[in-house]
Amino acid sequence: MNPDSQQLTPAQVSEFLRQIALTRDQEVDCSVCIQNIGEFTEKKIAGKELDVALANIEHHLSLCPECSEEYEALKKILEASR
Amino acid sequence: MPTTEISWVESLRSASPAEQAVAMKSLRESLLKGLRIALGDRGDVGEAHLEDFAQEGLLRVLAKLDQFQGRSLFTTWAQSVALNNAFTELRRKRWKDVSLDALIEKGEHLAEPSTLPDDSLGNHEEQTKVVIAMRKAIAEELTPKQRAAIHAELGGMPFDQLCNLLGTSRNAGYKLLHDARRALKRRLEEAGISGNDIQTAFSS
Repeated sequence: MNPDSQQLTPAQVSEFLRQIALTRDQEVDCSVCIQNIGEFTEKKIAGKELDVALANIEHHLSLCPECSEEYEALKKILEASR
Repeated sequence: MPTTEISWVESLRSASPAEQAVAMKSLRESLLKGLRIALGDRGDVGEAHLEDFAQEGLLRVLAKLDQFQGRSLFTTWAQSVALNNAFTELRRKRWKDVSLDALIEKGEHLAEPSTLPDDSLGNHEEQTKVVIAMRKAIAEELTPKQRAAIHAELGGMPFDQLCNLLGTSRNAGYKLLHDARRALKRRLEEAGISGNDIQTAFSS
């Protein structure tokens, strides 16, 4: 969205509602996600099972576009170096 | 070049300037290579930016060495730190001219049809019902700061910058948004609209 625009686009409204639908009472925040994103990404690429803590990271990524963007970038780097 | 997770940390902390310099040079090259892979195809990032991001990333890694817990490869962790720094900087540049007053003012319109029209998701009755209920919940459940934060977040404002503008820490900023989402979800559920109903509304 342009920083000056007002009306939300259909995509933004859908994203807003998706976030609300996925909301849990207990969630990890961005700082916890960033701290664990390396381990999470390595395990996802290796196809390993996620423990509860990393499953919470996955849930956070589904709600946070910024952390998700950084995860995709890290995944791209690790996959390129395999 | 260090080859194990322990030797990376030890070399970067080495009392030997020569050993430390070799480790820093090697890590900087590794970060630059990764940043080229991750950001090299963006139109707003040139080689000079990548060099800057690699250098800043290296400094961030050195400042955060105590936080490396060994649960991933050291280089994976270091890349995540450098990426976080680079993305934060790129997002900050895009939103640098937005003020807190403008943020709050926009948030005040979040519950209005001009911002959230009835047909935001389509013209079906169920979709319209969800949007109207959402507007009512936003108007009645959220604080001005929460409305502003949601509007800014949906618009892509960097979370760090949003927190700075609102005068909150990162954790407090996340709690502000989380509390808002929980309040809206609860209010919709009270109106007979479940999480599944919401997902159906925007996926149909």
